[in-house]
Amino acid sequence: MQPSHAWRHPFNRVEDVATVFDRADYVADRPLCLTTKLAFDLGKPVLLEGEAGVGKTEVAKVLAAVLDTPLIRLQCYEGLDAASTLYEWNYARQILEIRLAEADPSRRGALERSIFGEEFLFARPLLQAIRHPGPRPAVLLIDEVDRADEEFEAFLLEILSDFQVSVPELGTFTARQRPVVILTSNRTRELNDALKRRCLYLWIDYPTPDKEREIILRRVPGISAALAGAVAQVMQGLRAVDFYKRPGVAEALDWAQALLGLDIATIVPEVVLETAGVVLKYRDDIERLGTLDVGALIAGRAAETDAAAR
Amino acid sequence: MTTDDQPAAAGETLMAHTFALCAAARAAGLVVTQARAIDVFRALETVAWRNVDDYRLALRVNLVSSREDEILFEGVFRRYWGERSDEPSGDYILARSEFIAGTLPAGRSHEAHRDMLTETDAFAAEEVQRRANLALRWDADAPPLADVIRELARRLATRPSRRVAAGRHGGRVDLRRSIRRNVRHGLDLIELARVKPKVRKTRIVMLCDVSGSMDAFNPFLLQLMLGLQQVLKSSRTVVFSTRTTEITALLRRRSVPETLGEVADKVRHWSGGTDIGAALAELNRGLLREGSARGTVLIVISDGYDSGPEARIRAELEAAKRRVRTLVWINPMYGATTFTVRAAGMKAALPYVDHFLPAFNAQSLHTLVRALARLH
Repeated sequence: MQPSHAWRHPFNRVEDVATVFDRADYVADRPLCLTTKLAFDLGKPVLLEGEAGVGKTEVAKVLAAVLDTPLIRLQCYEGLDAASTLYEWNYARQILEIRLAEADPSRRGALERSIFGEEFLFARPLLQAIRHPGPRPAVLLIDEVDRADEEFEAFLLEILSDFQVSVPELGTFTARQRPVVILTSNRTRELNDALKRRCLYLWIDYPTPDKEREIILRRVPGISAALAGAVAQVMQGLRAVDFYKRPGVAEALDWAQALLGLDIATIVPEVVLETAGVVLKYRDDIERLGTLDVGALIAGRAAETDAAAR
Repeated sequence: MTTDDQPAAAGETLMAHTFALCAAARAAGLVVTQARAIDVFRALETVAWRNVDDYRLALRVNLVSSREDEILFEGVFRRYWGERSDEPSGDYILARSEFIAGTLPAGRSHEAHRDMLTETDAFAAEEVQRRANLALRWDADAPPLADVIRELARRLATRPSRRVAAGRHGGRVDLRRSIRRNVRHGLDLIELARVKPKVRKTRIVMLCDVSGSMDAFNPFLLQLMLGLQQVLKSSRTVVFSTRTTEITALLRRRSVPETLGEVADKVRHWSGGTDIGAALAELNRGLLREGSARGTVLIVISDGYDSGPEARIRAELEAAKRRVRTLVWINPMYGATTFTVRAAGMKAALPYVDHFLPAFNAQSLHTLVRALARLH
């Protein structure tokens, strides 16, 4: 199972991963760093689960950036099938080639071989990842795998164990350098057990207020420490409320950016209510916010009174 | 960092502990396969396992595959090192000193294991308030519902898929197959291969009221739950009274007695009160979360007698209605001739329900399902 490669990943210690994430302005905790290191050591895919907007996708982007390799992204959706993830023939060019052969009988003999050549092949994400020449591995991000259907998972399982694809007309492609694979899931449904067993698993939770403040400071240039802290505080309070969709880190960053853009230095209840649309994306949730004690939220106390809870 | 600089004795201790931990994790219900255990040891070769934090994480990422597993594992790990408090630093120090001392007290792992077992027992004892004997409520002679459910599923829960299959007429031209086929006989595209969308079964989510007021209909309910799971493998079943429990996985067991036993073990709130609003709220935030529910058919089976506030039921039903494609309500009480819509919950629900099926047994459900075609 050990990936067959001469390339040695640069992470000798867990701290090395932490340094790299830190340099990319991604605030990573120890579990994430260790999991990343093990993904390289063991050559296993990583399955990151967590609520929407906690920075799962970002992990793959950061990894690709620091390894200076392509990020190959496969966004999953219902109905995704092998053709749109592996390869497709370039039909327009194939038809053109057929026409040319009609005009020039000498080309006819080799036609079947020639129109199924590599230059007529569109490589889709999975084949791209397998054909990546190396020496550094590509980062393959399989995003929101819970949106794809079960049949696709079974197919994915096969690809992830062998990193090998056979195209009937061309032969078999085997990965020279196995990609680093990151799967993300919002957990809208449970994934296949077999797929899960093949992965290293990590649940990414909402950050602590301190960590969130740090993230905001790193990601929103020009923001004051006080405002970043206040935003983190309010987010923490909002996540304790039973909304249909709790705001993630992405929303916190948007909101911090918005406040900075509006030149608001201190958060008062009116500001929260006016800019609620940046953070809450459901009408019911925004209405709900109106019934809460926003002042308490800003002060860091629970905003839910008994009347509002029911 | 590498095993070279660690004394052999410490290495052996580590192995013994790791094996014992894997066994404890397995005993606690985690899926610890051989492959996973091997990966744990491979991982330990590369991490600084003298740092107990890293040691724990190296085991955890390999042995768990869900959030719940993670929490379960943390508990196993803590108990293994004889730590009961939630305060984390203590066990790290303990475990650490043990590693460094390189000694494994005799019988130690078994002791910890025993502690864990007694703790689970205590936990279980607390929970045994009411274990419904479902076997008594199972009517083995009832006519099978499979046909009715299959019909219900066909009427309500199919739609065109985004996946395609080869078809003779209509649909889209499949260029891949067309070119493949025609290049063999000639150069023009004479014969066009076509594809048609497949018919897709949508997901059914069934929310069953198992409160006390529904007890009389339990045989019908159980039949419906088991039948649905057999017919539509992708369906999900959730039962509620004052609490809400998903029992899909339990319904997938082979034998009926086994299933009934496990459901009774897991659902301790069977024959309790009713809180439809809370159950719907949980569904809206879980199974029917945004994006995942489009096209789902939600079947609620309840008599609508509810203790919760009506406004809550209305709000949650409205939210559920926006998430799912079809909302079906099966009400067994309604079949009784003396029944009028008195149940507050039912009254609140009616405006949001697409199909209202007052069925109390297989026969009445069959009649209603056949009538659905005309409504549809």
